[in-house]
Amino acid sequence: MFDFIVDHYNYWTYIGLMIIGFYAMMTKRNLIKKIIGMNIFQSAIIFFFISSSVKKGVTVPILEHAHGHAAHGLEHVTHAVDAMQYANPLPHVLMLTAIVVMVATLGVALAVAIMIYRKYHTLEEDEIIMAIKRD
Amino acid sequence: MIEQIPILIVVIPLLSSFLCPLIGLWRKEGCYFWAVFSLSLHCLASVNTLVTVIESGTINYYVGNWSPPWGIEVVVDHLSAYTVVIVSFMSLFAAIYAKRTVEQELPGKIVHFYTVFLLLVTGLSGIVVTGDVFNLYVFLEISALACYALIAVGEDRAPVASFRYVVMGTIGACFYLLGVGYLYIVTGSLNMGDLSTLLPELYANRVVQTAFVFMLIGSGIKIALFPLHTWQPDAYTYAPSAVSVIISTAMAKTSIYALIRIIFSVFTLDFIIGFAPIFDIICWISAIAMIFGSIYAITQSNLKRMLAYSSIANVGYIMLGVGLSTSTTLGLTPVLMHILNHAVMKGCMFMVACAFIYKAGLRDIKDFVGLGRKMPYASFAFILAALAMIGMPPSVGFITKWYLILAALDAGKYIFVGVIFFSTLLMIVYFWRVIEIMYIRVEEGEGSEIRVDEMPMSMLTPALILAVLCFVIGIVWLSGAPSPILDAVNSGFGLGVLP
Amino acid sequence: MKTLSIIIQVLLGAALIYGTLDMPKWGDPHSPAASHVSPYYLQHSIEHTATPNVVTSVLADYRGYDTLGETTVIFTAGMACILLLKRRDKSQGKRHV
Repeated sequence: MFDFIVDHYNYWTYIGLMIIGFYAMMTKRNLIKKIIGMNIFQSAIIFFFISSSVKKGVTVPILEHAHGHAAHGLEHVTHAVDAMQYANPLPHVLMLTAIVVMVATLGVALAVAIMIYRKYHTLEEDEIIMAIKRD
Repeated sequence: MIEQIPILIVVIPLLSSFLCPLIGLWRKEGCYFWAVFSLSLHCLASVNTLVTVIESGTINYYVGNWSPPWGIEVVVDHLSAYTVVIVSFMSLFAAIYAKRTVEQELPGKIVHFYTVFLLLVTGLSGIVVTGDVFNLYVFLEISALACYALIAVGEDRAPVASFRYVVMGTIGACFYLLGVGYLYIVTGSLNMGDLSTLLPELYANRVVQTAFVFMLIGSGIKIALFPLHTWQPDAYTYAPSAVSVIISTAMAKTSIYALIRIIFSVFTLDFIIGFAPIFDIICWISAIAMIFGSIYAITQSNLKRMLAYSSIANVGYIMLGVGLSTSTTLGLTPVLMHILNHAVMKGCMFMVACAFIYKAGLRDIKDFVGLGRKMPYASFAFILAALAMIGMPPSVGFITKWYLILAALDAGKYIFVGVIFFSTLLMIVYFWRVIEIMYIRVEEGEGSEIRVDEMPMSMLTPALILAVLCFVIGIVWLSGAPSPILDAVNSGFGLGVLP
Repeated sequence: MKTLSIIIQVLLGAALIYGTLDMPKWGDPHSPAASHVSPYYLQHSIEHTATPNVVTSVLADYRGYDTLGETTVIFTAGMACILLLKRRDKSQGKRHV
């Protein structure tokens, strides 16, 4: 039981972050705080993916002793690549895309918040609802 | 060139959206014609794909010539081809319709409106043709970002409605991405075909079960299934006119397509039957959606808001079809029918409702007095679509309700037959109210002559075409011509035989 | 609203912890994620793409379609921000809401 908790501690980290972010998105009344909560929530998912690419004691997924072979146009490398020595590259790739998507969503959400501010001159949700009801 | 058509479905709107700002620099009004031109090419490509798929079966296109699971694959089977035809034709009609309304509602933003509109069509097409779960997330986000922006430039409280949609849509997409991550961590693959072969031995794995629940909730937020629907009424009501048309038809149907693809292609039928009574829960939730959607629609006085709540009820119909699909020999037939039927009916009604706003500035139903004579063709189109929704034979609405009742009887769940009848009754109440005010009531002190002030041709033509299609497509369904598509989809998913 | 949100957080936490029970150990080199598709990229990256940086070769070559989608996302966000934030020209008169 204790081993289980210690072996999986990366998962508890991301679960905690996700719940913090989701709570902020649902409960906070200020629009900017909701956007920050959204950012925390998405970052937690990115942590989860990245943590799945780790292997104990390996190096980054950049192949060593590889420069120069390709320049000579050799079809096959003289020494085989041991996949166990390198970290898993695929989650890094997926998360590069996901980070870009996260930033783009953040940008559009902030642009919508600017539009709301120009119209109602406040960023608190209760005041916006009252302003809508008055119209 | 012909064998590249599956990827051209995504590339044509993408390239056109890149060129749209350049055309806007040259001449602002040219953007409309450019958008219509590129969407017509898109329709041609999608019809070609549908014909190819019917003749020779599923198309597997490897992007960059890397075979899956190491590369990304574009898979077009019967369901994808059918959905992409619906998406492309609905976006073409919405683009044709958009000319006058965009000029009136968004005068300084025409160029960027059409650019983001074409990007929305790119995202929707990318969702429908892809065969990779992470790629589906990327295109889901493209279409979602375009949609947030297009809704937020509407009228009145559109930015607030769009902000709510931003928050809820991001939660949905993130839950979907979490599901993808869970599937990846126990299988190591992202390709849909590969996952469907790797998952069967992992059905008891708790990670797979949690992944299924998360993906279901994520997709449920995007399709606005009952408890998660709160963003939809405001978003549909305050969006600009052309945007209301396209999101109520193309975007909603694409999200349903994604849900069906995840449930039936990635997690195949055996998982669902063995896991939990998920489909029973879906049936009950959709029954509640059908009734509450219609009850809320009756209480609305704004026409667009009423149509938005009616959309929630119709999503209930589609999900009831999904829930019943494993217990009946009809399989997914009612679902596929209602995807097309609802797109045609709701598209026509939103076009007419927005035309009332464009021409006369009337939003409330009680102000529609005498509109039947003032805008005869528009009201005629609305009446045809309303009769189709209610279910008068041989319209498309009647076909859907008929097949849903057959499916419920076949599955032995008679209570859902009662629910379908009850919600039809409620639909008759709220549509009859509109028709009565438009045609039958007469204004006080009105003379015998009424000036006919019809809506412009560019807006009227798509609305009339859709209204007539409501009945023509009904006859096509009755004649049984599309049954190769329906049979291929049902047999591809292993449905249509009782367990 | 607060009680509803607390209930949803608890349910979410429970679902997430339930999902963690069967996950592979952190850093396990024999986990399915590390042994199904990824070794192919590491072994064939030089031969297919002449790039020692495997992340680059996967991003730009094997899964280049995702990168196309990603650049489209940036373009969409840029166009969306212009569409949202562009102010009306004074010469076009007052906007009627």
